[in-house]
Amino acid sequence: MAVAAPNQLNLTESSTWGSRSVDCFEKLEQIGEGTYGQVFMAREIQTGEIVALKKIRMDNEREGFPITAIREIKILKKLHHENVIDLKEIVTSPGRGTDEHGRPDGNKYKGGIYMVFEYMDHDLTGLSDRPGMRFSVPQIKCYMRQLLTGLHYCHVNQVLHRDIKGSNLLIDNNGNLKLADFGLARSCSTDHNANLTNRVITLWYRPPELLLGATKYGPAVDMWSVGCIFAELLHGKPIFPGKDEPEQLNKIFELCGSPDEVNWPGVSKTPWYNNLKPSRPLKRRLRDVFRHFDRHALELLDRMLTLDPSQRIAAKDALDAEYFWTDPLPCDPKSLPKYESSHEFQTKKKRQQQRQHDEAAKRQKVQHQQQHSRLPPIQQTAQGQGHPPMRTGPNQNMHGNQSQAVGGPGHHYGKPRGPSGGPGRYPPGGNPSGGYNHSNRGQGMGGYGSGPYPHQGRAPPYGSSGPQGAGPRGGGNYGSGGPNFPHNSGPYGASGTGRGSNLMPGNRNQQYSWQQ
Amino acid sequence: MSAGGSDNHHPLHERLPEPPRHSLDEPTTPRVLLILSSVVEKLVARNDKLMVELKSGSSVENHLRKSLDTFHGVRTPGISISKYLERIYKYTNCSPSCFVVGYMYIDRLVHRYPDFLVVSLNVHRLLVTCIMVASKMLDDEHYNNAFFARVGGVTNAELNRLEVELLFMLDFGLNVSSGNFECYCQHLEKQVMIFDDGLITNGVERLTITNSIDDITELSVENDVQSSSPSEI
Repeated sequence: MAVAAPNQLNLTESSTWGSRSVDCFEKLEQIGEGTYGQVFMAREIQTGEIVALKKIRMDNEREGFPITAIREIKILKKLHHENVIDLKEIVTSPGRGTDEHGRPDGNKYKGGIYMVFEYMDHDLTGLSDRPGMRFSVPQIKCYMRQLLTGLHYCHVNQVLHRDIKGSNLLIDNNGNLKLADFGLARSCSTDHNANLTNRVITLWYRPPELLLGATKYGPAVDMWSVGCIFAELLHGKPIFPGKDEPEQLNKIFELCGSPDEVNWPGVSKTPWYNNLKPSRPLKRRLRDVFRHFDRHALELLDRMLTLDPSQRIAAKDALDAEYFWTDPLPCDPKSLPKYESSHEFQTKKKRQQQRQHDEAAKRQKVQHQQQHSRLPPIQQTAQGQGHPPMRTGPNQNMHGNQSQAVGGPGHHYGKPRGPSGGPGRYPPGGNPSGGYNHSNRGQGMGGYGSGPYPHQGRAPPYGSSGPQGAGPRGGGNYGSGGPNFPHNSGPYGASGTGRGSNLMPGNRNQQYSWQQ
Repeated sequence: MSAGGSDNHHPLHERLPEPPRHSLDEPTTPRVLLILSSVVEKLVARNDKLMVELKSGSSVENHLRKSLDTFHGVRTPGISISKYLERIYKYTNCSPSCFVVGYMYIDRLVHRYPDFLVVSLNVHRLLVTCIMVASKMLDDEHYNNAFFARVGGVTNAELNRLEVELLFMLDFGLNVSSGNFECYCQHLEKQVMIFDDGLITNGVERLTITNSIDDITELSVENDVQSSSPSEI
């Protein structure tokens, strides 16, 4: 770890972030939307480089600068690795106004603050959800090795990611995989003495120790998530799609057996063990259920999905597993196929245009007079967003978001985060993924992406209120509470406006919107 | 300094009759706060004097306005630094380490912007902003900006502005290593020894940390006779 020398004051950073304006970038299109902010694909005018701009929402006055953004910036500032998303800089948008004295520099951040990331074409969830998509064994090994390499780097730098899942693993068209969305991440000490919040990690990928209420934990929490992803890649679908914490634990116990003092010394002392322990002992069935897996894959998976965090395999050891060193070997990322980029917003736009086209054709048949109806399609009307479905101008994106957000579980930036996103509010299994490009799903439905029907969305409910109501004294009067409340998700950390919107009361506020 | 009102240069130590204890729940102000306010008060007093001396030179005012516009108040607040810190501690209940880290942020600012003088017109805003950001960084549980604003006597909107200003001025360099943290603790002790030689002659309480800095939730304050000669930073 690059520990600063004791006297070093971190004064030597080469460039000062925030010195450049967002005007250095040409916005190409919006690729995501969330409580945290919008995500745009953009081109740096000077260099032509394509980047992703994540706008930091600043409209929650009471919270000020979002803590997730502070932490993400702080952590990404010190992480530099080929398997970790690169935060290139922070840019600001000066806004058009002047302060009360007419000075133009009175509030130079009024227009917005953006994080500039390298652009990535896909995320793992989106990629694997494509119809007909099948990853080859060398491809899976390639992704897994990159995931573990990036995570190992984080862990040796004493950073816990705390939200490892497919939609936070970005993949570019050179086959490179990078960890993204460090909004829940935090530094950890090696002695694990501190009390950390257990309300982290998206439910389906949350390890048993957190589900049992542990507040002292370490890198093993991320390794459980890796195990879930690994199994998902091999199995073809999520292995623990629980809809709330107790069900999540049950699903884990059904596959991994029930914990006891023999296989997990100390488990009975975890805060919620007595409430959540299985009513009868369950045998570990993992090797039986997944017996069709490759032997080495199963061996590795078994060690990742170990109940006792202290016995769970570490990233470094996982990289040494036989699995990565036996035929077929992991392939070279560059040899992987290139997939057409399909962002949610892009495909949505295409779909919308297609629908407009169809409807226009229909109208021409039925009502010859009415060439350009100002009426939105039925689905939109029902959602109360009366935007004319015209050609998408620059503003369309923003308005489209709202429609989309209301539209329910079809959009891929949408994902419940935080306590208000309790599981009861969603149809089981109907939650959207945080990914932004598996939008082919639902394409045939003709609705606004999804309409009111539950999708087979994949992202699990996040942060549903724990059965014990435990967790930090967050919420309530204590402002943002733990780091997991107003939170972001999605590849660049944008999460759904839909579910999370009541966490961010200023959601409708376009005050800081992009300068058109 | 003028901000202190009736407080003179040694107001803190009059409130130091009882030995420090470990518990943070007790009503007494942690020693680290007392040391910190003493150090900051000295800094401000010195800089205020410097300002007065430089005031005749016309460019100073402009210079200051440019770099620290946001933090500058029109008038000196009527609350002393020590009382202000006490107030923040009392109401926000943030861990004492936040105060040390907040001080580190001020120090980083001063190093980054050598023209930036911490004076009585800006020190309160600086303190509340830095401590709040430190609290956001360190404490998993913390109050929001709105609450800090009320405690700090500024509006929510202003504190938000100050926060963003601070973050950019620090270039988001908020990481604090445990070694760095410990250095500052030692530095603070040493400052007190320099300034108050005679008041604290032996048994300077050592500010120790139990964890890597990022996970500090509590700064233990304990007696340590061996720390009477902290190393230079």
